[in-house]
Amino acid sequence: MSFSKNNNSNSPESKKNKTKDPLLKSLAENVKIIKKVMGNSNDIIIREVDILKTDKQRIAIIYADGLADKTAITDFIMESLMLDIDSTPETREEDIIQYLKNFCLTVGDVEDVNDLQSVYRAVLNGETVILLEGQTKGIATSTKSSKDRAISQPSTESVIRGPQESFTETLRTNTALIRRKIKDPNLWIKSRVIGDITQTDVAIMYINGIANDKIVKEVLERLDQIEIDGILDSGYIEELIQDSQFTPFPTVFNSERPDVIAAALLEGKVAIIVDGSPFVLIVPALFPAFLQAAEDYYQRSIISTLIRILRYGGIFVSLMIPSLYISITTFHQEMIPTPMLISIALQREGVPFPAFIEAILMEIAFEILREAGLRMPRVIGPAVSIVGTLIIGQAAVEAGIVSAVMVIIVSITAICSFLSPAYAMSNSIRMLRFPLMILAAMFGLFGVMMGAFAIILHVCSLRSFGIPYTAPFAPLIPSDQKDAIVLFSRGSLLTRPRLVNQKNVTREQKLVRKKGRSDLGES
Amino acid sequence: MKVRKKITFILFLLSITLLLTGCWSKRELNELAIGVALGIDRVDDQFEVTVQIVDPSELSIKQSSSRTSVVTYTTKGKTIFEAIRKMTLISSRAIYLSHLQIMVIGEGMANDGIKPTLELLARDHEVRNNFYIVVSSKSTAREVLNILTPLEKIPANKLFSSLEVSQKKWGVTSKMRLDQLINHLSNDIKSAALTTVEIIGDQKIGNDQTNMEIVNTPALLQYSGLSIFKDDKLVGILNEEESKSYNYLRDEIESTIESVSCPKNDGNIATQVINSKTEIKVKSIKDIPEFDVNINVEQNIGEVECQIDLTDSNTIKQFNEKESKQIEKRIKSLIEKLQNKYQVDVVGFGEKIYRSHPKEWKKIKGKWEEAIFPKAKINVKVNIKTKGLGTLRNSQLYEQKE
Repeated sequence: MSFSKNNNSNSPESKKNKTKDPLLKSLAENVKIIKKVMGNSNDIIIREVDILKTDKQRIAIIYADGLADKTAITDFIMESLMLDIDSTPETREEDIIQYLKNFCLTVGDVEDVNDLQSVYRAVLNGETVILLEGQTKGIATSTKSSKDRAISQPSTESVIRGPQESFTETLRTNTALIRRKIKDPNLWIKSRVIGDITQTDVAIMYINGIANDKIVKEVLERLDQIEIDGILDSGYIEELIQDSQFTPFPTVFNSERPDVIAAALLEGKVAIIVDGSPFVLIVPALFPAFLQAAEDYYQRSIISTLIRILRYGGIFVSLMIPSLYISITTFHQEMIPTPMLISIALQREGVPFPAFIEAILMEIAFEILREAGLRMPRVIGPAVSIVGTLIIGQAAVEAGIVSAVMVIIVSITAICSFLSPAYAMSNSIRMLRFPLMILAAMFGLFGVMMGAFAIILHVCSLRSFGIPYTAPFAPLIPSDQKDAIVLFSRGSLLTRPRLVNQKNVTREQKLVRKKGRSDLGES
Repeated sequence: MKVRKKITFILFLLSITLLLTGCWSKRELNELAIGVALGIDRVDDQFEVTVQIVDPSELSIKQSSSRTSVVTYTTKGKTIFEAIRKMTLISSRAIYLSHLQIMVIGEGMANDGIKPTLELLARDHEVRNNFYIVVSSKSTAREVLNILTPLEKIPANKLFSSLEVSQKKWGVTSKMRLDQLINHLSNDIKSAALTTVEIIGDQKIGNDQTNMEIVNTPALLQYSGLSIFKDDKLVGILNEEESKSYNYLRDEIESTIESVSCPKNDGNIATQVINSKTEIKVKSIKDIPEFDVNINVEQNIGEVECQIDLTDSNTIKQFNEKESKQIEKRIKSLIEKLQNKYQVDVVGFGEKIYRSHPKEWKKIKGKWEEAIFPKAKINVKVNIKTKGLGTLRNSQLYEQKE
C-alpha cells in the first residue's frame, strides 16, 4: 500500500513527471533500461526466471535489497511463482497477469505498473516488481520491510505522568500510534509525495467532522505548492508552509508525542506527518499552545494552572529581566530601593565594563555554552558544563570582570527561558532578549517599552493558517479562557477552541454525578 | 513600487539617526556618588552644603578595610545648587541625590529661614520626595552629618530609621517629607513643626572610627522634641511631653507609653496606647472661635508597680479618668504655649475653619495668628478605653495582703 498511488491523479508529482516511458514488450530490453537508469547499483536485485512448465513464461523479479523484506519475497513471491504455481489449475482464460494476481501472489497488496517511472518508485519504496516477457504491464507487490526503530520514550518532551511513547522515523508506525489512540472511522489520512528527488511521503491527519474544512483545504494547498528537491525532516515542511517567514515566533507546532497530536486532532487541528521525522507538525499553532505541556492535562488542573502562570512569568522574565536590569541600573537608579542600590553599586565597584557590555558578554557566553553543550559528544558534555559554570559563575566574578548580580540575572534568564515546554518558543524568546537589551542600553526604560510594544504588536499581527496567533487573548474569547492561562477542571472543558473549530464545538456532555454517596456504607 | 522602496529606504535612514543619540544620559552605577544625607548651614551670607556619600566598597560583607563607610563633602556657595555642583571639585564622582534619606537643616539656617533650602530640592527632577527633614539643635548640620553611628553603618540610615521607629513607638517625633513641609509653609497658616536632632556626647570622637568601637558609644545622634517654625523661621523648641501632645492634636500618635500614678500614690502604672484618634471640630466662629478636640485613646496595661485590682471595672474607670485628665492638662498647656508664647497655629486650627467655613476664613485669615488664634477657646476632651491587661491579670508581685 503505497501513498504515491492513491492520489496520483491530483498530486503535483504526476504533473511534473509528464514524460512517462511505457514498458516495452521485450523483457530483456526493459531490464536493460532499468539497469542503466539505476546505474547498475548492486542493491537493486533483478532476478530473471522462467515459470510455468508448459508455457515457459519468462519473468523478472526486481527489488531493492534492504528496503524489501527478503523473507516475504522468498516465501510469497519466489516460492509461489516457481513451485506452487504448478499445482494450480491451468484453466487460464484471462491474461497471465490477472492469473498471477489471482492464484500465485500470496501477498496482501498488489498493483499494476504501466511505465518505468512507476517501476522505479515501487522498487525504491521497497516493493517487489514483477515484469513479464511480452507484457507492457508489470505487477508491484508490497513487500516493504518494516525495519524500524523501536518506539522509545520521548526525549524532548518528557512527562512524569502520562504516556511514555514517542513517534519514530517511520510514517506508518506514526499514523498507527495515532490511530491506536483515536479509534474512529472519521480519522482521515490524506497523503502527498513531496520532494522531486527524495519522494518523501507526507500524510496529513485530521478528524473529519471536527476539523475545519477550510484549514484542511489550506494545508493541502500549501503542501501542493511546495517545490523542493528533498524533504529530510518535518522542519522543511514547517518552513515551507508557515504563514509568515519574517518572524521569530513559531507558527507551526511540533511534537514527538502521539498523545499531544491526538489531543490536537480532537481540538480540530490538522497533523502533518513526514516520513523520516519523529516530529509531527500541528497546524494551526497558537501562542498559548507553546506554553502548554502534555502533563498539564494529566495532573489536577489547579496544579497545572499554577505551573502555567509560572511559565508565563518565566517567559516574561527571560525576555525582559536583562534589559530591565540594564535600563534601571544605567538610567533610572532612583527606581531601585536604596539598600538594594547600594548593594548593586558595591558589586559593580571595580567592574570595568558598562552594565550593557557586561550583560551582553554574559548572555553570549551562556548561549555559547548552551550551543556547545548541545552539539558536544555526550561524553564531553559534563566537562564543558563544569568549565562553563566555573568560569562564568565564579572566576569571572572573582576576577572582577562581571558583577555577581549580572551572573544571577543571566542564569535566571537562562533557566526561565527553558520553562516553555516548546523548545521552538524558548529559542525565539532568548533571541528577542538581545534587541531589547540594545534598546535598553540606548534609551532606558523608554526603549524597553518601545521594544515590548513592537513585540506585542508583531505577535498580534501573526496568523497561523488564518487563525489569529494570540487567540484566545486577542481577540478575547471568553469561552476559550478555560484552557489558556487558567486550566479549568476536566469536567468543565466542554467546548473545543472556537476559532480553530467551528463545526463540532461541543466536546463532551456535562458530567453529571449522582447525588449522595453510593458506597458500601449505605447498603 | 519604486516610490514605496524609496520611502522604505528613507524611513530606514531616519530610523538609523535614532542610534546617533547613543546612550544619552546614561550613568553607570560606579560613576555615581550616592548621597544619602544633605546638610545645609548658613555661614556668613553663603550656604554651606554638606553631603554624606556612601562608599559601597566599605559596605561589603566579605572585605572591609579600615575606611569609614561614608564620606562627607562640604562646600560653600552663593546658592545651594552652586555649592552642590562645586562638590565635583573635591569628589571624583557626580553627586547623585535621588536616594537622599534625610536632610538636616542647621540651627543657624533655621533661625534665618528655611525657605531657600527647599526650593532647589522641590524643583530638581533628580531628588525624590520621600526623605525626611530634621533640624539640628546646638550644632550645625555639618557637625551632625560627621558623626559616625554604631549599628547602622550609614549614619543617614540611622537618622532615617530612628525617626520612623520613634514616631511609631514613642510618638514624640514627626516625619516630615519635603512635599508636606512645602504644603505647611505655603498654605494660609505658614507654620511647621520639624523634629530636632542633637549630638549627645563628645563630638570629636564622634567623627572618628573609634566612635563605633566603644561599647558605650561616646557620641550619639538623638532626636529631641519638635522645633516650631513660624513662617519659615524657628521660634521655639518643644520638649518631649509637648511634642507628644502636639502629635495627639495632629492625630499622629500610632503608639506611645503613658504613665499614671497609682491610686495610693505608691508607684506608677504604665499603659501602652495602641490606638488614638483625634477629631477637631469647629464649634462656633463668632467673635471668638471655639473648638472641640475629641481624642479617643485605646490602651493596654503595660506595667503595674503597685497593688491594684485590675479585674474590677471601677478601678479601671477611675484610673482611665485620672489618665485622661492628665493628658488633657498636658495638651491644654501646649495649646496655651502655642497661643500666647509663640502665637503660631502649628496644629492647624485655622485650617479646620477654612474647611468648615471657607467664607468666614477669608475674612479672618489675615489676622488669624496674631489676633484671633491666641484668643480662641479650645476644649480638649480625652476618652480612654483600657482594652487589655497584657498576659497577667492582677500582678502576683504586688499581691493583695488579706
